[in-house]
Amino acid sequence: MSPTRRDFLKASLGTAAVASLGSGLSVCAQAADRHRDTDDTVLVILELAGGNDGLNCIVPYENHIYARSRPTLRLTGDQVLKINDQLGFHPQLEEFRRLYDEGHLSIVQGVGYPNPDGGHDEAMLDWQSAQPHQTNRQTGWVGRAIDAREQADVPAVLFGQVNRPFCLQSQRTIVPSIGSLQECTLRPAGDDAGRSNHRDHLVEAAELPRAESDNPLLDVVQQGDRAAYATGRKVEEVIRDASASAGSYPQFPLAENLRIITQLIRAETGIRIFYTGFGSANIGGFDNHASQRDNHAALLRHMSQSVAAFIDDLKQQGLLDRVVLMTFSEFGRTVQENGRKGTGHGSAAPMFLAGGKVRGGLVGEHPSLTELENGGPKHHTDFRRVYATMLESWLGFDSQAALGGRFEPMDVFQA
Amino acid sequence: MLAKDQADKPLDPDWAWSPYRPDAQRPWNLPRAGHLYRRAAFGADWSQLQQAVVDGPQRTVERLLTPEGDVDAFNGKFDRYAAASAGSESADGLRPWWLMRMMQSPHPLLEKMTFFWHNHFALSGAKVKNGEMMLGYVQQLRSEALGRFDTMLAGLSHDPAMLLARDAAANRKALPCEHVPREFMVRTCLGTGQFSESDVREAARAFTGWFVLKGQVRFIPREHDPGVKRILGQEGNFDDLDVVRLLLEQPATPRLLVRKLYGLLISETDQPSDALVEPLAQSFATDYDIAALVGRMLRSNLFFSPAAYRRRIKSPLEFALGIVKGFEATVSASQLGLDLAGLGQNLYEPPTDDGWPGGRQWINPATSLGRTNLAFSMLNTEKPYEGKIDPMAIVEKHGRQAGQFLVDLFLQGDLDDAVKQSVLKQASGEETAGGDSSQAARRLAHLVVTLPEFQLA
Repeated sequence: MSPTRRDFLKASLGTAAVASLGSGLSVCAQAADRHRDTDDTVLVILELAGGNDGLNCIVPYENHIYARSRPTLRLTGDQVLKINDQLGFHPQLEEFRRLYDEGHLSIVQGVGYPNPDGGHDEAMLDWQSAQPHQTNRQTGWVGRAIDAREQADVPAVLFGQVNRPFCLQSQRTIVPSIGSLQECTLRPAGDDAGRSNHRDHLVEAAELPRAESDNPLLDVVQQGDRAAYATGRKVEEVIRDASASAGSYPQFPLAENLRIITQLIRAETGIRIFYTGFGSANIGGFDNHASQRDNHAALLRHMSQSVAAFIDDLKQQGLLDRVVLMTFSEFGRTVQENGRKGTGHGSAAPMFLAGGKVRGGLVGEHPSLTELENGGPKHHTDFRRVYATMLESWLGFDSQAALGGRFEPMDVFQA
Repeated sequence: MLAKDQADKPLDPDWAWSPYRPDAQRPWNLPRAGHLYRRAAFGADWSQLQQAVVDGPQRTVERLLTPEGDVDAFNGKFDRYAAASAGSESADGLRPWWLMRMMQSPHPLLEKMTFFWHNHFALSGAKVKNGEMMLGYVQQLRSEALGRFDTMLAGLSHDPAMLLARDAAANRKALPCEHVPREFMVRTCLGTGQFSESDVREAARAFTGWFVLKGQVRFIPREHDPGVKRILGQEGNFDDLDVVRLLLEQPATPRLLVRKLYGLLISETDQPSDALVEPLAQSFATDYDIAALVGRMLRSNLFFSPAAYRRRIKSPLEFALGIVKGFEATVSASQLGLDLAGLGQNLYEPPTDDGWPGGRQWINPATSLGRTNLAFSMLNTEKPYEGKIDPMAIVEKHGRQAGQFLVDLFLQGDLDDAVKQSVLKQASGEETAGGDSSQAARRLAHLVVTLPEFQLA
């Protein structure tokens, strides 16, 4: 059964209803089983800031318009890592190619939205809010999704030294920013032998039942403390356990962030959505208006090696089936090179999905190079369908609350 | 303690809002003094608590409303400091000054109320992108925080920060901006269901003519729509101040404000009944005198009853400042600003137009851990707070046994027996171990201020 169907049943019947129908309805029973699967799935959102050139990632090497339009950036059939007789990976996406061959990488092609904005800030806000072109946007798509859950947990965090993205803006839920594993542990007070006792006292004071209290707020605080200290302990165990960080990661900042995200997943912190990113709209980021070739190649290497190390590590730890990593960027780039060996702000671009449960392969057609928008390929898949897929089919969240309307999830996961 | 010394009474409005007079069943004591200082200030030090116990509730409330020190001189000084840090595209330079003001002000209730209005008129510096305007906006809030709500609302109706925050920097006759009047109706004054879309559209016409040009507010008469508008059942060629007047005439406005203040001063666990709200709303509507309303709530039987006691979850700000106040200290305000942002309360940048959600939303496993670790950091001798708080010095200053004293200082002794025993056990354990007594006091202080009870206001 496809995730879409499974989630349709879940959404229309609800778990309780499914359970009460009894085992006679095998389809429903199966749906209920599957529901449990989505309780511990994790989404890692990877922002590629600056506008990633999709045509330089998944290269239409046989296309004449491509060849003519890119005098210095063009990659030939000899250079790309071929996917088929039309398309190939950029040579620095070698590790993506390996993931692709292993079935752990899906490439959703031609993703964008109607009337795309050509400015970095505006387009990024459109993607982050998932409310393109609206005025007075208050919250982001992840923020709305977790607000709709009404649970006192920590469903999402920002990880790494990235500016706080708008998509985590929420009305009710506080979404923490985490810079290190240590921040997720209970810090011992004092710097002498009294430490460990002190920690026991902290935990005891939080856990002791309050016989005399009928105050509901005290329960809220006590539960928060208990959960916090329990999570802190689990993270400490992971820090102590050297094998948890045995994966072999390259020396990139993104790789380091992903390594720690793996440890937090392993620590069963209950965090369902991680947000991290790299690049920027400044020098060194994806916004290559000039001298794109080497700079973009370096970024692709950074990205593919980091993500591949992450996927390998998760696989080794038996966590890969619970995790999907999704990339996005505010726009792709123009088909035509700009005379300064770079490209301008375009529109549609591919999104990469990596994980153990993705089907793998290409999703959707490579966009046409004759029908352009802002000088770049025009989208055929709205990014909100990809978001809906992640929220609904993967995380089991309510996508309509987050996206403000119905966007059909895509069939990108294994049955 | 407090929860047991009074049987539940039905909330008769007459009784609820009458001034509290201590008696044998409801004595004036340390827990009630601590309660008052948590709500009407950012906590108290030991001398303030002792003084309050001696003075009684009414005198202490008076002092919190109208302190004896030279508040104007203090605020004038801090206005100058803040103005010197305001010249940028963000409010980042202002944040430490406001926190410092909260730590040191002789009139903490004024700061608390200023912050309450900041949350009520939730403008974000992230949207306004102008430090001077954010400073001006908060100064407007402060000047009427315990003054007149009608004056505050009129001033904010064409405040530049307000106009920028609500995408209303160009209120053209041909294109009226609806956002400011909509916000005034839905959140600031009336509440949902108390107005129609047509009221918003017509009120937006009344707001036309106001612009923010080169950082200054200007009224351009030819861009004002002078025609007749029909707003909330009345007709006239209204302008923005007429809309403010019409809003203030609606009975829904004082009711909404009383309910919101109830959440700040009385309780966030239950909604007050209409009968309870009505007497305060009616008298507030006569003059919109905020100090009178706040004073009446603070002096009341209800305020000092179990229905209010510890019936709020402290905001990160109240949590951190409670520690600072109790230990008679001042800590790095820029660091504190960052740490409070991490706990979900970034001053000058409320998350949405709704302000901070507050209440139970403050607490989740990450913020709980964050609060415990912030307290650790504040009480630690290392960077970034560098031991500006010295628990041992305060214990010795007041000449008391450390464990019991800290429980009295921060929780006024009001703690379940088993929990208190656990605290005292750590205290005696530290004594027996005979290590560094200053470090031991820091640990003990950390244990007390991370007790779940201390998270309640």
